[in-house]
Amino acid sequence: MEPITWSGSLGPFLNPVMLAAVVLFFAAFVINLVMSFAGMRQAEPIVNPDHTISYRMGPVDFTLAAMKYSVFAVLACIVIFILGGILQPGMEAKGIIGGVSARFLPVWIGLVATFVLSIRYKRRLGLYGKLFDNLIGMIGFGLVMFWIFTAIFAPMIATHGAIDVVSAMRNDVPGSPVPGAAADGLFSHYLLGGDALGRDVFSRMVFGAREVLTIAPVATLFAFMVGITLGLPAGYMGGRFDTLITFVANLVLAFPVILLFYLLVTPEIVEAGVPVYMAAVLFLLPVIFIWVLLYSRYRNQPGVIKWVAIPITLALLLLYLGTVFEFDPFVWLTTSFIGYLNQGNPVSDWMLTTRENYEPLVGIPIDGNLLIVFVAVVFVNSPTVFRIVRGLVLDIRTRDYVAAAQTRGEGPWYIMLWEILPNARGPLIVDFCLRIGYTTILLGTLGFFGLGVDPESPNWGSTINEGRRLLTIYPHPPLPPALALMSLVLGLNLLADGLREESLKD
Amino acid sequence: MTTDTYDGPILEIENLSISFFTRLFEIPAVMDFSTKVMPGEAMGLVGESGCGKSTVALGVMQDLGVNGRIVGGTIKFKGQNLNEMSPQQLARIRGKEIAMIYQEPMASLNPAMKIGKQLMEVPMIHEGVSEREAWQRALEVVTDVRLPDPERILDAYPHQLSGGQQQRIVIALALMANPSLLILDEPTTALDVTVEAAVVEIVKDLGKKYGTSMLFISHNLGLILETCDRICVMYSGEAVETGSIADVFDKMRHPYTQALFRSIPLPGADKNSRPLVAIPGNFPLPNERPRGCNFGPRCDYFESGLCDESDIRMDTIAGDDRHESRCLRFRDIDWDAPIRAAIEVEKAEIGDIVLKVDNLKKYYEVAASALFSHGEKKVVKANETLSFVAREAETLAIVGESGCGKSTLAKVLMGLETATDGQIILNNKGVESTPIQERDTATVSSVQMVFQNPFDTLNPSMTVGRQIMRALEVFGIGKSESARRQRMLELLDLVKLPRDFADRMPRQLSGGQKQRVGIARAFAGDAKIVVADEPVSALDVSVQAAVTDLLMEIQREKKTTLLFISHDLSIVRYLSDRVMVMYLGHVVEIGSTDQVFSPPYHPYTEALLSAVPIADTSVTKEHIVLEGEIPSAMDPPPGCPFQTRCRWKKDVPGGLCDREVPPIKKIADGHHIKCHLSDEKLAQMVPVIKIAAE
Repeated sequence: MEPITWSGSLGPFLNPVMLAAVVLFFAAFVINLVMSFAGMRQAEPIVNPDHTISYRMGPVDFTLAAMKYSVFAVLACIVIFILGGILQPGMEAKGIIGGVSARFLPVWIGLVATFVLSIRYKRRLGLYGKLFDNLIGMIGFGLVMFWIFTAIFAPMIATHGAIDVVSAMRNDVPGSPVPGAAADGLFSHYLLGGDALGRDVFSRMVFGAREVLTIAPVATLFAFMVGITLGLPAGYMGGRFDTLITFVANLVLAFPVILLFYLLVTPEIVEAGVPVYMAAVLFLLPVIFIWVLLYSRYRNQPGVIKWVAIPITLALLLLYLGTVFEFDPFVWLTTSFIGYLNQGNPVSDWMLTTRENYEPLVGIPIDGNLLIVFVAVVFVNSPTVFRIVRGLVLDIRTRDYVAAAQTRGEGPWYIMLWEILPNARGPLIVDFCLRIGYTTILLGTLGFFGLGVDPESPNWGSTINEGRRLLTIYPHPPLPPALALMSLVLGLNLLADGLREESLKD
Repeated sequence: MTTDTYDGPILEIENLSISFFTRLFEIPAVMDFSTKVMPGEAMGLVGESGCGKSTVALGVMQDLGVNGRIVGGTIKFKGQNLNEMSPQQLARIRGKEIAMIYQEPMASLNPAMKIGKQLMEVPMIHEGVSEREAWQRALEVVTDVRLPDPERILDAYPHQLSGGQQQRIVIALALMANPSLLILDEPTTALDVTVEAAVVEIVKDLGKKYGTSMLFISHNLGLILETCDRICVMYSGEAVETGSIADVFDKMRHPYTQALFRSIPLPGADKNSRPLVAIPGNFPLPNERPRGCNFGPRCDYFESGLCDESDIRMDTIAGDDRHESRCLRFRDIDWDAPIRAAIEVEKAEIGDIVLKVDNLKKYYEVAASALFSHGEKKVVKANETLSFVAREAETLAIVGESGCGKSTLAKVLMGLETATDGQIILNNKGVESTPIQERDTATVSSVQMVFQNPFDTLNPSMTVGRQIMRALEVFGIGKSESARRQRMLELLDLVKLPRDFADRMPRQLSGGQKQRVGIARAFAGDAKIVVADEPVSALDVSVQAAVTDLLMEIQREKKTTLLFISHDLSIVRYLSDRVMVMYLGHVVEIGSTDQVFSPPYHPYTEALLSAVPIADTSVTKEHIVLEGEIPSAMDPPPGCPFQTRCRWKKDVPGGLCDREVPPIKKIADGHHIKCHLSDEKLAQMVPVIKIAAE
């Protein structure tokens, strides 16, 4: 069987249109450039007597208009390809682009729903709503949401399993049909081809989104919690504590990141328990953060402290113990208590062994390698966050509302967390978006070096690395994850730009 | 180019309209504005913030940014239309023919360039003179702006000079090219009163010396009176009245001008018998201007069917020199009618002593280096032996310029800092060494503060109601959330804000409204003592009166002691019972308002009184300009703190002022002065402010 074509049955009509639009765009661009060198300018606005503004179009304006409409034409073609892919029957008619877009159907539905709802209610949604006044921000948000929905609906989108091998498909080009697919109940084609082991590139990319989008935001969030918990007191109180922490932060920042990662995954260091100790410290800070946040706010309302703040903190503490130390005090207490009561019988022996190796009831099981990656990313990012927070605090603490809080006898932590932190949120949200992007790249780099992550993992970084070896002969396996990584980071950067612009307009 | 023999008007603006354009609509900033500045004439442009006075200046400079556009009218400079000039022609005129001085001196100087270089650039670019000649010229101009040691100044960087000196350099910079027109946009707002007085003096003298015409933009009517020949009052994008200073100040013919004068505290106003009259309502937003007269909705003389019908033109007032008013009814209004009898209120009885400060000292130790603390330590004496008492229901004003230690005093009172020495007795308890964390809730809630900057006083990310409720929570008032909410709404009533403001965010409020919320928050725990740190100085004139009156009213009702920190002596005279004048951490004079405002004075008080611009043509002032700058508190002069700038120093025999800090001398009952001057000398002092008999 022949591989299916890229553009399917729509290709013969749409490809020339798209090509013409692209040619027109570049032609208009070159003409515009020449005219602007010749000293021609855009038309000056004319103020009418009724205080409206109108323009008289000149040649420069026409080239600009041509560029604008050719971009619209290309976009329209892409939309038709996507719709055509969804609506047309049969893989041959859909083509590769159509096939891929048909697989992404849940993502399209999710995106359309998100945008329609958000734009409809944007005036009530604060900063998030204002994002929809900004084209750049909307594009960024769209790209990010695309990958988030892909991660959510990954099993529905992927055509094959992430590690399913069809050995006949090794290094096959995009659109190759899977032999005997119908008999084995598999999807009929490898849409973006197969990799060196005969796995489906498209499906691995889709599952890779899941990997990237779980680690990066959570690791960034932890880095923020750590940075904020240390940056607030350093900026607010100053003095020796500030000097010390800033010095440590500078030390960490001065250390080469990649070398640090290599060190952390070295077996000797892992065996010595360094990553676990680091996790123990880094993961404890968010728990402290939440407790102080709640306590300082509801200090004067013992009811809220007793029924809300303490339970939440205890639950987080359990989660912390279970995640970092794989320790569950309840299980530990019951097993050792029963084991102690009935010494010398089989039940108690079983209980005592269970005490040693059990799965904690509360706690997120993290793969050892993943924990190292996580710790390393938090460790590397938190000093930068610390410095941003500290700088913001140094500015905001001189405001009168902080003095007002001091003069009514508020404690330092209330002031830091409820008077200062909310007003530092603008730059922090922007940095958060950018930092998810950096973390994604960092994770990709780590995967590329084969550090920390499982070699089988569909993680974009490791996939790019695997494809690297045969790049000159078979460029198709590493390209999709590379483009995916690029579009996600681009989306995050655009989103951050949009947020920054809109938050300044307030 | 016109020759130097041009003798028509320097600047002639006719029917100027300037608009700013957004994506959605046009915002008219200035409408139908006309004015004429003759050679050597100083024109004052007054109005509240947002009235378009700075836009006019930018329009003259043809520097409106990307969104701004002149949509009508002409701006003629020496007969040439600036609107039609090419960028090259404009570049020749800007800086050479028209110079501009901005509010913030540090922002107008290049911090990376020496003063001399920046000054020399001007003639070198515009006239192509040699470097040596430019240096000579710079030296001359720096001497003209009365800076000491001009050679050293020319060799300094901007950050090495004080604010007052920087502003003088900016003036020098403007004068370097010997311009025909000088535009001053609030040139002294960022400066202290005595420094302001000196700068204004220079501007006036140099204007005369160089024959420069001036466009002086300010919100301060007193300053305009001192510097200008003619005045133009603007309101919401329009000139509402223009004429000579004497005509507009004494025979105003526009209701807004009249309301403006009634809302500022002039000598003679009194908080109980002749209170300020605040202008009702709010300044209209540019896109919500009413039909017809912009001032209509706030005007006492508004007549529907007439004032809200059509656009109103400027109309000449017969008999006066180029005196015009934008009012349809100015011929019908009885301008000499007395102010409608305000309800005379009973002064609250001054009660027992609630706060006693005795020999309070606050020193800060400043280490030479932050990292290595064993370096040399310097001591900043922020407060030096302060002693005073404050009684129930009394207003004690604390007056002084920046760096005099008034804010430190407030901090020590509030418990944000602890005193180095001395005593503060509050509710019969010594609190001088109890930091705020260790004070009990009752003490904390009984001393509260109102802050200066309305845009900074509220947390921008919390609703107004929540912020007041947080104060109630901390002070332990109200048993439940709903009880506290009820109390919060009552507090909003107290400061005369509508109850639905509770759920608004601070950014939705105007400056005056924010300041009211700040007052409500301060009174949340029924404060006995409220420290008000310049609570109205950042507000517009018409709003100031309303907020001041609100404070006074709450004080009368709650019998609160008000410590009113201010540098504005007009408002202090209007509302305080007693005044305390501070200089470099010392109380130099304390007494009742009448005692402090009439001789004998402390020499510093005398200078302060003379420096305050008063917007009343019937007032004549003794002219005292303080030489030099306020010494740094790190390095105070030996002996009397004021000796470096005192004009009476020569009258004290034996150089006593250089050696000893003067003792506190009792002049009359409750009136104390810290000065070496003998009683005879003090008795010779004449009043600084004289009101001409009417």
